[in-house]
Parts: sequence; structure tokens; C-alpha cells
Amino acid sequence: MSNWPPYFYQQGDLEADSALRDHIFEQFRKREQMNSSTSTATPARHELFEKRVAEVKSPKSDINAIILDYLTMEGYPHAAAKFSTEANLKPQQEDPSIKTRQEIQHAIHSGNVELAIAGLNELDPEILDKNPKLHFSLLRLQLVELIRKCNGGDIRPALEFATSKVGPRASTNEEFRKDLERAMSLLIFDHDSPTLRPELKALLSSDLRRATATKVNEAILARQDQRKEAAIRTLVRMRAWAEQSARAKRLPVPNPLDIELLEEDSADTNGHEPMITT
Amino acid sequence: MTNPYQQPQPGSLAPLNVRRTSYASVVSGSQQAAPRPATRSSAVAFSNILNPSLDSDNAFHSSQNHFIDPTITMPGMTHASRNGVSNADDRNNVAYGINSSWGSNGMSSAFVHFCDKYKLEYPRTEIDTNIYDATGAGANTSTYDIQATGFLAPSYLRGSVYLQRLEEKHRARIIAERERELSGSKTQPRSGLASNGNGHHTPSAHGPKLHHPSGATHRGVAFDVVEKGAVSPTEENDGINPLPSKWNKYDKEGILEVSNDGYEVTVGTNSTRALSDQEAASVRADHWVDPSCGLYYFEVLVLNRKRGGSEDVPIGVGFAAKSASLLRAPGWEPESWGYHGDDGHCFAAQNTGKPYGPKFGPGDTIGCLLNFRKGHILYTKNGRELKVAFRDINFKDIKGKIYPIVGLKKQGDHIWANFGQVPFMFDIDGYMKKQREIVANEIRVADTRKHLAPDLTETELIQQLVLQFLQHDGYVETARAFAEEIHAEKTALRLNNKEPVKGINIKDDEDANNRQRIRRAILNGDIDKAMELTNANYPNVLKENEQVYFRLRCRKFIEMIRKEAELNMVLANKYNNGGTGRKAGGEFEDEEMLDDEEDGWEDDDEQYEAEVEQLNRLSQEAIAYGQELRTQFASESDGSKPEISKHLDEIFSLIAYSNPLTVPAVAHLLDGTGRVAVAEELNSAILTSLGKSSRAALGNVYAQTCVLLEELRKDGGDGAFVKVEDVIRQIPPSTLL
Repeated sequence: MSNWPPYFYQQGDLEADSALRDHIFEQFRKREQMNSSTSTATPARHELFEKRVAEVKSPKSDINAIILDYLTMEGYPHAAAKFSTEANLKPQQEDPSIKTRQEIQHAIHSGNVELAIAGLNELDPEILDKNPKLHFSLLRLQLVELIRKCNGGDIRPALEFATSKVGPRASTNEEFRKDLERAMSLLIFDHDSPTLRPELKALLSSDLRRATATKVNEAILARQDQRKEAAIRTLVRMRAWAEQSARAKRLPVPNPLDIELLEEDSADTNGHEPMITT
Repeated sequence: MTNPYQQPQPGSLAPLNVRRTSYASVVSGSQQAAPRPATRSSAVAFSNILNPSLDSDNAFHSSQNHFIDPTITMPGMTHASRNGVSNADDRNNVAYGINSSWGSNGMSSAFVHFCDKYKLEYPRTEIDTNIYDATGAGANTSTYDIQATGFLAPSYLRGSVYLQRLEEKHRARIIAERERELSGSKTQPRSGLASNGNGHHTPSAHGPKLHHPSGATHRGVAFDVVEKGAVSPTEENDGINPLPSKWNKYDKEGILEVSNDGYEVTVGTNSTRALSDQEAASVRADHWVDPSCGLYYFEVLVLNRKRGGSEDVPIGVGFAAKSASLLRAPGWEPESWGYHGDDGHCFAAQNTGKPYGPKFGPGDTIGCLLNFRKGHILYTKNGRELKVAFRDINFKDIKGKIYPIVGLKKQGDHIWANFGQVPFMFDIDGYMKKQREIVANEIRVADTRKHLAPDLTETELIQQLVLQFLQHDGYVETARAFAEEIHAEKTALRLNNKEPVKGINIKDDEDANNRQRIRRAILNGDIDKAMELTNANYPNVLKENEQVYFRLRCRKFIEMIRKEAELNMVLANKYNNGGTGRKAGGEFEDEEMLDDEEDGWEDDDEQYEAEVEQLNRLSQEAIAYGQELRTQFASESDGSKPEISKHLDEIFSLIAYSNPLTVPAVAHLLDGTGRVAVAEELNSAILTSLGKSSRAALGNVYAQTCVLLEELRKDGGDGAFVKVEDVIRQIPPSTLL
């Protein structure tokens, strides 16, 4: 293990970086505030903007297509089937993989990487050979899950898996090697320590499972010559990007530009609130 | 420079055979074979009772191709005609040029003619193949094709909002003119619709007759192109400026001559005035370049006769505002940019240029590219991109509008310009594609946490948007199923098994269930039931929303027609024995003929008669209901609410077809998307009556994106290279009804 120290000693640099980042964010926030104060000075133009938004007709058939596309592509087979019926839509092309994709995703979400790899190989025996990066991501996730299990306990299963399965793949690829090193360093740090470096903490969070599952889903879709991502992702990113560009150009856009996602919650009091969290 | 005419250099002439697929669709809706609706005499009679001015509908469908600019021709032809060598061959070229059906050889023959004229060499076969390729590419992208445009629509702008809006304006003008014409003469022959549109363009059918109102007719355009534009009404009345299409003979220096078609410019032979060193003679194009196009491109071909020996041609091309003097070369004046052939320098508002590119002269094609997104101008020579000539131009600071400009100087200077009427030499489509990809990539990496929902990851945001949409719009079952699946996902994702998972409980909501039942009824085509349910649960909604009520009633009429058409179709298939000679939905007046064919099938005959009986009954009912509709909404339909009478006219036209389901021009009125639209309109009205927002957050995301992009494309910036419909278009069409 003597060949990883350089990596561990970089903590100081990282702190300096984060200080700089905080500084930049602070500046950014101040500028935002200035922007918002100047923009409230032109309410008439904002009203015009709101009026224009209100007048845009968002074609419902398009929105329905977006919804069905999302449910199908991201693996919500029951909802997709129900929606086809309720909205009178033809189900998206006979997609035999939707169920399998969802099962594989579920396995990864639950941290059962072995099962996911088995399912993948059954669905498409070549997919992992053709995507070494994807294969490595899965193996690394599996390693992280093993490490998670042995937090403070017996680290042998994790070590064994690392040396036999992950190590050989990482030796040839610089990027893989760094990823492996980061995962392995989880073995020596206390997972619950508040000083655990953020990028190590990220490895332990469920986001890694989700991200890996998403990559696997995209890879399956790509192998079937389908689009990688659901259209709704492009739409929300386009909206975020457009707002960012408009603000950068100092166009008269209300700040904040609310999409009223939580509006239904506010209706709680009159009893029509349909969504309740328990 | 060596003589490019007698001794063609591979370098300078090779590009001639790489003509691109980019071309302007000065098309009259050509390829598509227009349907030839067989009219039932009885139905026509009825429809005339219902709707005495039914011709206006035909008029709309037939009015699309009256705006073909007959001046759009190939360069070679104009020469022939100007020299008085007008032969039969040229006439053919003219006709083909107008139709712009490249596959018909018209382009190649004109082009060949052109090259012959100027003794340019080229490998003929390659040119022909490329032209055919162009046709193929056009056919593949037919969804983007604006059929029946008569205005300049260069291929690189196809699919852009700018072109879409140009088309809308153009169409509105056609309709307005048509309506004016109609109010003068109400007795247009009905046969107009069927008289043409078989897709074969014989030269004689076009040409001089094109501007005649009763001339060739084509079916109407796909309407959703416009409806999906999602341009907010407040924006629409902004004037949208057409593209430059020719040199403006009223905006030129005196010694210049502009050809009749507006593409060629020469220094007049009998001009007596000599220009001083500080002078040149310029001409601007007819329109300024609207920044909202994002990208503008035109090409200039130097046609000077070779005089022997190498010589510099003092021709300058570029862009200039109106303020720039026409007695000066492009680039010498403020708000003027030019690239000069005699020294290869580029000039921006000064007399001394900077070394820029190669010199250019006879036989060279110079392209001028204005990129509003980057704020720069660059040139191409013979199809090859040169470096950026002028950067960081802030178009907002320029007071005047920018026009294409060309400056000539000597006797014999002669240029021809391509404003997009024929394929460009440079791959401007590819350049445009790259710009669009750059913007698409920026969008791909955009972070929703920065500007949309700071507290949610993208995945969480989308889940909430979808769930909120499902509940808001009353998709109760789907919402429940989706909530369960999200819950399962969250359960799987938790790291500690003892950690409780927040559940989403979709509460039984009476309103949601009611709205769902109403929607269901409409989607099943049962409009009566939907109205009943609405009146029972929300008694005021239909009273207070006349427009929605009207739409429902119209949909009921459409459903009646649809029922009849479907039965008609079934019967036609059943009794025609898959007849090759007759198409489905043929007239049933041919009863005797059928009887002869199917002699001995007595039972079938009886059944057949019963079915025909039923068909007639459906038909009668529909017509009666239509008359009722007309009477009830008569007050609205005479003038005070033109959209009501327009809609009535539109749906009544369905009666005119023996089977509207087989007529693409009107079949869209019958399809299921119409049900969805009506269902959603009613749902929104109910929501509003309950004091809820009429659309879900996802609808707001969509609408805000539309308006933001509109703002971003005004100055030709990033927004000109992207539109919200592109998102929808990436969804495979099988998901749409």
C-alpha cells in the first residue's frame, strides 16, 4: 500500500480550493442579489414575461408523449402501462427490455451488483465486454458495497475482491486506478467520521448506486439503438440552460422564475391536497 | 492567376462538383400527390345547404402555390433570355426551376447549360448524382419540409423558428389575399381541388399561369407545423423580416445594372463616368438580414470575362448598413464589412484592409457568412471555409440593419449571386449543424440545480414533475402506480434497512376521479356522456366556458362523421373484394355494379343493403346535427367571432368527402389527437373553476422554456439554434397517437 500516499496528502490543497470556491460563490451570490434588486425595478417587463408564459399553449399531446417516454425509458413499467390506458396512448414501441431493465436497475439500487451483472449478461452477453468502463463501474460499486458491509469489521472479503476482480482491470487504465484507490481508501477511514473527505462520502451515498444504474440503463438502450435519455431530461436542462443564458445576457426575466411545482401542497388546507407524505 | 476558363485548374474548379444539398425550397408542394376526393353528389348538396360558402375551404387548400416567384431561375437561363436566345430548352428550365423539383433533371440541365455557357468544365455524372442525392435527402426530411412555400427557404434554415414564422406570415398573407379574392367572386368551380395535384409537373401546366387564382392547386399544408410553434401571441405581431432574395435595383450605384431576375450585377457598358480611386459602385440586397435567423449565408460568383494574363479584379463582397455610401467599396465605410478580390484583404470601416485570404477573380465563388451567435463574419472561397474575418461585432450597437452588399469597379465586372435559390457550393448545412450541436451540448451539461430547482437532484425533480403532472391532470391510476414504483426504488436505494422510507400516498380525490371519468368519455369518443358528467359535477363550467362548450359540440359532430367514415371503410373493404380498380371508400352509388359482380350472394346483398341503410342513417344524422350546430352558433359565426365560423367551415368540409379518413388533407381533423385536445381543454376549464392552476408545473417548464428561447433568439444568439419542439421530436412517433 505504499504507493498511494501522494493522494492522501492533498487534503491541504483541497481545502484551499474549497476556500477559493466559497469565495467565488459568495461573489456570485452577491451579484445575483444585485441582479434581483435591479430586476424588481422593472416589474412591468416582468409582467409581460409572465403574460407571455401564460399565453403559451403547451400542447397536451406533447406533454403526454413526454410522460410516457419518461416512464418507459427510465423503467417504470406499471406506470407506463397505466398511463397508456388512461391517456389513450399507444404504448411506446414494443419494448421487451423495459421489464428486464427495471429489474437490473432495481438490483443495482439495492446494492446487489452480482445479480445485476448476471441479469445484464443474460440480456446481452456482449454488453460488458464492449463497455469496459461500464463493467469497471459495476465492479467498483460491488467493491464499495463490500466495504460498506465490513465497516470496522473483517475487511478480507473486500480485499480479496479488490485484488482478484478489480485490480487486474485497473492496472491498465489510469482513470480506473484512481477510482480504485479512492474506493480502497474507504477501508482505512471511519465511514461515519465527519472529517471524511466529500468525494469519499459520495462513494458511500446511494447516489453512486443510482448513477451506476443510470449508466447501465443508458448502455442497454444504446445497444438497442435507442436514445440514451428520456426527452424530459433534455427539457428540464433546456429550461435551466435557457434561464442561465438569459440571465447572463441580462434579459428581463423575473427572478426567481418559479415553475409552481409545490403549488398543490399549498392547497393542503382546503382538503383538495392529493399528495400526502407519511 | 492562370486562365480558369480555357485551362481549368483542378483546385478552382473541383468544387463545382461538390454542390451541396442545401437549396431553397421554392417549392409548390410538388412531390406529394394530392388526393383526388370523390364527392358524393348527395353529400355535396347537403353540404351546400349547411355551408353555402364551402368553397372557402377549398380555397384555402388550393391557395398554397400562388406565391411562386417566377423570377427564380437558373443562372444560365437568364443569360439565354437576356441574349434573346430563348429556345424551347430554356423554357423547360424555367418551368423546372420554378417547381424546384431537382429530381426532374431540371436543375442539372440548367446547371449544365450554365456551365456550358461559361465554358466551365465539370464531371457531368457526379453533378447529376449529387443532385439526385439532394432530392433523396429532401424526401427523408419531409417532416421538416415546408410544403407549398413560395418564398425563399434555404435548406440550412430549415427547421428553424425563423423560417417557421416566415412561413406563418406568408400563409396568413395568402389566406388574406385569397379571402379578398373570394369576396369578389364567389363562384369558384368546385372541381378546382381535384383538377390537379397528381404530382406530375408538366412545364405547360405551370409558368405563366402560376399567378392565376384558378390555376394549379395543391392540398393544404400540415397544420400542426404552425400550431406547434408555441410562439406566444404577443410575439407574433413583431414584424418578421424576409430573407434577402435578390439585388435591389433601387438601392445601387448608378453605373451598375441589375439583371431582371435580380441575381446578376454588371458595370454598365454605356456608362460614361469613370470612378476615382476612392470610389466603387455598390449594390445592396432587397432585404436586411434578420438576426433571429442566427446564421445568414450567400454566395457570389465572379463572372468577369477573362482578358488574358493575370489581373486583379477589384470586386468586394460583404455586408453593410443602409448608411454606407454606395459610391464606396464594401468595408470602406462605417457599418460596412468587405473582402476584396484584387488584394485578398478584408476591410472593416476603413480604407486600409488587413491581409485576410487569397485573391479572387473570374470563376471563383465567394461565400459570405454572418454568424450572429458568435458575432462574426467569415468567408468561403469555392466551397472552402476561410478563417474568421471580423469578430466581436456587436450587432446590437449597429443602428442600421445589415444588408448583403457587393461592390464592383471596372467595366466588365460581372457577378451572379446565390441567395439560396440553388444549392450552395459551401456546406452551409454542415456548418449550421455544427452550431446546433454546440448549443445542444451546452444544454446537455446544464445543471437543473443552478437555475430550476436548487434543492433537488435532476432525477428527483423529474420524478416530482411527473407525479405532480399525473395528479394535477387527473391520471389517478398512473399516479398511484408511479408512486408505488418510486417507493420501491427508494426502498432499494436506502443503505440502512431500518431507515423508514417516506411513502407517497395518493389520496382518493373525488375531483380527480370525476375529471378522469370525463376525460375517459371524451377519449372514447362519447361526447354526450362527457357533457352529462360535466354538467352533473361542475354545472357552471360549460356555461362559463363557451369556447369549451363549442369545441365539445364540434367534436360530437366530428365523432358522428368519424363513425360514418369508419363504417364506410369497413363496407368498402368488405364488398370491394380488395378490388384493385377501386380504392377504399369508393362511392356506393355503384351499387348495381357490385350486384353484378357478386351475383348469387343473396344473403350478402340483404346484409349489404341493411348496412348501406345504416350508413345513410348515420350520414343523415350527422348532417342534421351539423345544421343544428350551425343554427345555434350562427350569431357567433357571422363576423363577430371569425374563428368560430372558420372552425365550423373546416369541420363541415368533412361532409364533402365520400370517406374523409382516406383524405390526408382532412383526416387529421378526425384523428384521436383532436379528442385529447378537447379533453384537455375541458380539464383545464374544470381546474380553473376549482381555483387550481390550469396547468401542471411541467407545463410551466415547457412554456417558460418557449418564452426564454424566444428572448434568446431575438438577437440571433443561442436561442436561434434550438427549439422546444426538437425535444418532442426526439420521441419516437409511435408514442404519439
